[in-house]
Amino acid sequence: MPKITVDGQTIECKDKQMIIQACADAGIEVPHYCYHPGLSIVASCRICLAEVEGVPKLVPTCQTPVRDGMVVHLNSTKSIANQKQVMEYLLVNHPLDCPVCDQAGECNLQDYSYQFGRSESRFEEAKQKKPKKDVGLHVLLYNDRCIMCTRCVRFTREVAGTSELFVDGRGSKEEIEIFPGKPLNNKLSGNVVDLCPVGALLDKDFLFKQRVWFLKSAPSISPADAGGENIWVHHNEGVVYRLKPRYNEQLNKWWISDDTRYSHKVVNDPKRLYGAMRTQYGSQVESNYDDAIQQADTDLKRIHKENGDASLCAVLSPMMASEEAYLLGKYIRSIDPAALLVIGPVPMAAEDEVFRHYVSGQETFRIQAEKVPNKNGVTRVIDLLGGAKQTWDEFSQQHPTKLKAAWVVGGYLSHWTGLDAPAPLKKLYKVVQDILPSHLTHHADILLPSATWVEKDGSWENYQNMSQAFVAAFPPRDGAMREGNVYAKLLGRRTYDVAHVRQEMGEPFTSIKVPTISEADEPAMEFVEI
Amino acid sequence: MAFTEPVLTKRIPLDASQRKLIGYDDYVATGGYKSLKQALEMPPADIIKTVTDSGLRGRGGAGFSAGQKWSFIPKEKKGPHYLCVNADESEPGTFKDRYLIDHDPHLLLEGIAIACLATQCDIAYIFIRGEYHYSAKVLEHALKEAYAHGIFGGDGVLGSGKKVECYVHRGAGAYICGEETGLLEALEGKRGWPRNKPPFPAIAGAFARPTVINNVETLMCVPHILERGPAWFKTMGTPSSPGPKLFGMSGHVNNPGVYEDELGITLDYAINKLAGGMKGGAYKASVCGGISMGILGTNQLDIKLDFDDVRFRGGCLGLGTAGMIVMNEHTDMVKALRNCVRFYAHESCGQCTPCREGSNWMRKILDRILDGDGKAADLQMLMELEKTMGIMPGTTICGLADGTAWATRTFINKFYDEFALRCPEAPTKTIPLKVSSGRLNVLTPMGSNTR
Repeated sequence: MPKITVDGQTIECKDKQMIIQACADAGIEVPHYCYHPGLSIVASCRICLAEVEGVPKLVPTCQTPVRDGMVVHLNSTKSIANQKQVMEYLLVNHPLDCPVCDQAGECNLQDYSYQFGRSESRFEEAKQKKPKKDVGLHVLLYNDRCIMCTRCVRFTREVAGTSELFVDGRGSKEEIEIFPGKPLNNKLSGNVVDLCPVGALLDKDFLFKQRVWFLKSAPSISPADAGGENIWVHHNEGVVYRLKPRYNEQLNKWWISDDTRYSHKVVNDPKRLYGAMRTQYGSQVESNYDDAIQQADTDLKRIHKENGDASLCAVLSPMMASEEAYLLGKYIRSIDPAALLVIGPVPMAAEDEVFRHYVSGQETFRIQAEKVPNKNGVTRVIDLLGGAKQTWDEFSQQHPTKLKAAWVVGGYLSHWTGLDAPAPLKKLYKVVQDILPSHLTHHADILLPSATWVEKDGSWENYQNMSQAFVAAFPPRDGAMREGNVYAKLLGRRTYDVAHVRQEMGEPFTSIKVPTISEADEPAMEFVEI
Repeated sequence: MAFTEPVLTKRIPLDASQRKLIGYDDYVATGGYKSLKQALEMPPADIIKTVTDSGLRGRGGAGFSAGQKWSFIPKEKKGPHYLCVNADESEPGTFKDRYLIDHDPHLLLEGIAIACLATQCDIAYIFIRGEYHYSAKVLEHALKEAYAHGIFGGDGVLGSGKKVECYVHRGAGAYICGEETGLLEALEGKRGWPRNKPPFPAIAGAFARPTVINNVETLMCVPHILERGPAWFKTMGTPSSPGPKLFGMSGHVNNPGVYEDELGITLDYAINKLAGGMKGGAYKASVCGGISMGILGTNQLDIKLDFDDVRFRGGCLGLGTAGMIVMNEHTDMVKALRNCVRFYAHESCGQCTPCREGSNWMRKILDRILDGDGKAADLQMLMELEKTMGIMPGTTICGLADGTAWATRTFINKFYDEFALRCPEAPTKTIPLKVSSGRLNVLTPMGSNTR
């Protein structure tokens, strides 16, 4: 393992690692724009240059591999002079419209300008004006803010493999462009917004919605498919403003699909269900949430008493957390030991969407065809509980005639039942937990509005059988309740404690790691000495 | 020092009315393709050694030893090797390659064939500048003849079994494609953005295979070296820069054109003897080899035009391509510099920040100075900007930013008074580079840029 010295600090590096990456691993920030660990190296922004002893020129740290005994100076006069100069150059044609720029607050041009730049520009001439462009379904391009790091161009080539973006023109007139009639509409397009170190590429969905310094973040998992992409939920005051990728070496790396990125819409959907309902004399009336839960409990127990064993079933949605599925299974079996456990419908796309490198053809990203996050987890829970079980298809075609009542959980990101309530459920007594109105919720005997994944704790098991925990960003609004809390109440427990439930469930659930909010993502305010 | 007869231009008469295109038959009749036959009987290492011994230095501008460049190509062959001929002659003031190709294309083809034998290249690409329509046609025609006579393709060079293919590739008109790795990118069909080195082209060049890149004039010297030997080659020029050289004379001279002489002639000789003297006024300045190399001042007529004297005594970057733009006493040096910098700002490929933003910034400052709004600070700014760009301080990927820097540096240094006149209150000569080392103590969260 080579060792190098950076500004007097000796750090250990991996073989053939670039200096910048070795520094990053050791917690030393080298300013950089064009470098991104997930993309090829172009070394064109030139701000990462540093002085290396024994080399007469400044060397690009993003492109120079470490050598044992190398002595790097990031703070030498020459290095600092270059950092200051590059910062000044980058701001020459930058409009400095930070007050109206969405990136302000998380902009590397701002950060590095404070840290490495000079306080004022000596540029007195007229700035170049470049147009704004609508480059795709989700992405806007403000060309005048662009610093030509070409991360986005490399991303569309090397990760998405679709090559929509390219550099047009030459010199200071060059711009990022799309080909006529070929917009940036691939399923990974949102990532170029994350990649952009400045405010040139912006998300239309987030545009002018919120200043980033108001946002709080919570680590979470993608609900859009079985891939288990790791995300940050950026929210403020009970509103989710955007989802950002959270680095995971094994799964999504630095990227997420657009399905994931815009899956937060359901959280603040104006149509969301709030307030429990129960059916009285053939029509639904509003009810106190606790009363509705009590009523459901009483009714189910009565039905079981009247009809004997195997008259109850529970439809466990693959959108549920494994822990909640476990509790619901426990509850329904506590009334009816022979209750049927059904795994809810699993929407599938025709096939996985695979993205490949534009030259090598190597697979870079895969969007799973299975559009629910936790089919594997719920299946595992049903197996854990044992007893009668069915898949949705089996249940739809042929279900026990003795069934009289069902506890149905939805929670899908869109209206899942279609126009009509699912056939097998039609004649049953139904307790329904869901987040969006549907034909099923209209005909529910008891309707218990539930929480979306950002409002609760739990874990999901992805297609590779990797269980990952997600953390509640904020509690659900009044009139909705986490499924887990409902079951805890019904089972006579004081609270829904995820860790406790995992202990109860045993392996592999006990070994799930709960992500914590890292300091990097929630910078503390510090006094600035000038 | 004995330049008695023309070497590269031996088939091209000085009198323009008698010049004609030398076809295959004329070329062979005047001793053409003799060296190629000779080369076929030599092992590749011997050819490289002969060229190294001759001291032939690259005529494309950098002046790097041609033999040494060839010796970097791996000896063991694990796949195809490529030869790229750099005929993307875009340096302002340079037109020697066009002159050679237009009249004697077979000399180039012979040089290519020999170079391919020496470095075991299978395919040669002649990357010719997009604007050279006629030259490209001439080359295509000559290639057809060469193929028909078994120089390329078929059963190998002259039936020897060592097969070499040769193609003409026309550029699309960009200065940057004359930079060797920019040329390779353009050849591969990509945007002509120079590559990061290492890897050097000799290890991974065109299509990631070992590649030799040579200038047209360099390759044209090779057949003569093989034919007459390194010792003869060394009788011309200076010890460190031997051989004949084409000098492209343009600007305020009586007889502009391409002239062949040995390296190491003085600037005075080049202007007065070769180009027929100054026109319209006394000598003031001369671009010494494409404007990227900088400019020679009024008192530098005695500079020897070889690869070293221009650099060490002349204060320029080097001899470059020896394309001289001679200027007389009525030339406005501020305007001349503005013209140069406008060229660089227009031709900057836009990859590296310092060159992309810096060259255009410099152009805007010079525009302002010419508009009469010059300030003392402008000169200081120009000198500071010029120091921050180029491969020599290491701040850019390719060397073309150095061109901007050296042109600006030499213009301002050597004609400071003229610039100071346009910039009132400009200080007297020395302008130090100011660098403050203070840094604000603001912490950016780690990895915030890569999220």
